[in-house]
Order: sequence, then structure tokens, then C-alpha cells
Amino acid sequence: MALPNQQTVDYPSFKLVIVGDGGTGKTTFVKRHLTGEFEKKYEPTIGVEVHPLDFFTNCGKIRFYCWDTAGQEKFGGLRDGYYIHGQCAIIMFDVTARLTYKNVPTWHRDLCRVCENIPIVLCGNKVDVKNRQVKAKQVTFHRKKNLQYYEISAKSNYNFEKPFLYLARKLAGDQNLHFVESPALAPPEVHLDIAAQQQNEADLAAAAAQPLPDDDDDAFE
Amino acid sequence: SQMDPDAVSKAFVEHYYSTFDTNRVGLAGLYQEASMLTFEGQKIQGVQSIVAKLTSLPFQQCKHHISTVDCQPSGPASGMLVFVSGNLQLAGEEHALKFSQMFHLMPTPQGSFYVFNDIFRLNYA
Repeated sequence: MALPNQQTVDYPSFKLVIVGDGGTGKTTFVKRHLTGEFEKKYEPTIGVEVHPLDFFTNCGKIRFYCWDTAGQEKFGGLRDGYYIHGQCAIIMFDVTARLTYKNVPTWHRDLCRVCENIPIVLCGNKVDVKNRQVKAKQVTFHRKKNLQYYEISAKSNYNFEKPFLYLARKLAGDQNLHFVESPALAPPEVHLDIAAQQQNEADLAAAAAQPLPDDDDDAFE
Repeated sequence: SQMDPDAVSKAFVEHYYSTFDTNRVGLAGLYQEASMLTFEGQKIQGVQSIVAKLTSLPFQQCKHHISTVDCQPSGPASGMLVFVSGNLQLAGEEHALKFSQMFHLMPTPQGSFYVFNDIFRLNYA
């Protein structure tokens, strides 16, 4: 959903709600997409900045109106007006800050209270940072709630397109949908150790084959 | 002689937010055990819990800009109701947030005031 003062388009567009603790990199993440950054609009009464992010698929263009807060989440939960009419969502946490993962269930609950049955991606951001507090195999919340999980690094553009591709496929109801062209992204600001990240991805895949721990919400006390 | 309530409330508000912005833990001196804070809907009671809440907010630097201060004398005990609106700029955020805050001030035996009730809300739809 676009803001009233924002350009609408004649190809499919969807409201994407981004939630997660303050400082997890939500704004940094959406700002990587350069045309979205140029066309973003701020609505002060809602306290939201909406970035229109276009992607090019084999079925044509798709636009995500990405709703990003002005920092209200640092004070408590967000108002329903932020979530309402949300058609898809990203829940972000910071793999270098344990508390931000511990708070993921609260964000998921708040989101699902307003937006029932929308596709959701969980993103663990800042995987470029050496000293992780949340290891790949410790991320299990998505398995219990049937969400997709991606490890991302907004500053290096690592996996930037993955959450959008997952959501586009779900929204289009087409698992074969793919991107045919990359959007213009801001140049990487940090270097990602690809070998180390491949190990993380392998750990994640191995963990997915293990049974779910039932006390896993308490594992981060 | 009675102090001018408008002058008192204005002085209180300036003191409160300059303390909040420069030395948040110093707000402890303005609350007591019976004090209550409702912060974005979360109810907190007692000076220790209130200061713990305010100092644990996940941002360090911030700057309050006050737009309006309204006050009324309140009750036989010479209390005072103060209503504030303004903007709050957080370090690292592009846009300021609008807020409203209401204080119910009660006199202390020493001739000063403490915050008995405090209700804080961000203003957005």
C-alpha cells in the first residue's frame, strides 16, 4: 500500500511491513535498494517512511511498498496502523545482539494479531560481524512458526534479494517465479567472509534436520 | 507567597527534559516510591523501576524539543497537573518523533515537587 502522496503503479504491488528491535538494521536494509531510496516518502502522522522497492521477475515487475518506522519500536510495540493491510512481512534481528532474537516471538505475535496468514521472512542481519552471539544453528523460531529464514548482511548486500524473492513467490503463488534482473544496490560497505558464511549456511542446513528443542524460547535467558 | 504555577511548571519541564537528555539516571531525584509511570501503555511503579525503565530504553543520545506546556492547580494538596507536547530527536534517526507527556506533581515538605503520576505517549496513528 502506497502513501496518499506516493506514486502508484500499474503492476502488482504489496505492502511489506518490516519489524524488529531498534538497531537491528531495518532502515539500513531497505536503503540498499537505490530507486526505492530515491522515491521514498515520509508520512509524519503515521511516523513511517515508505520505500517503493521494484523487482523484475520472469512474470513482470513487482513492487514492495516497504514500511519502515521512524524509531517508535525503541519505545514499545507499534500501533495497529503500522501493521494494518500488511500483505507480507520481514522480522529482523541482529545476530550480534542476543536480546533482539529473544524478542522475535513478541514481534511475530504483534504482527500476526493484525495480519493473519501473510508470508513472513525472518532475517538474521549483520552476519558479516565476526563475533556472533546468535549462531546459525541456534535460530529455530522460524521452524516452529513456518517462516522462512535467511542470514543477511545489509552492509555487504549478502542475500539482499532472498527475502523479496521468497515473498514474491508466495504472493504470486508461483514457486518457479524468479528475478531476471538485479535492482541497483548501494555498493557494499563491508566485506563478507564467504567461506565462514558458507559454514554458517551448512550449520543451518544441518540444524534443520535435527528435531526442534521444545524449550528453545528459554534458551536465550 | 504562592509561586506562579505556570512558572513552576515551565521550570520543572525544562529541568526534567534537560536531565533526561544529559543524565537520565538523575531523574531518580524527581520520583518517589508511590510514583507511577505509564510509558507507551506499560505501567511501572516506584522510583527504582521507573528509572530502570527510562535508563534501559534502547537509545543513548536524544533531544527533547518542547512545543507546549499547559498546567492547572490540582486538588487540595497543592498538586499540579502539567501537560507537555513536543518532538523527540533520537541520535541516528532521520525523523523526529512527536510525543505527549502528562505529569501530576505533588509538593514535598521541603517546598519542592515530585512526580506522582507520569504518562508518556508517542503521537502517531
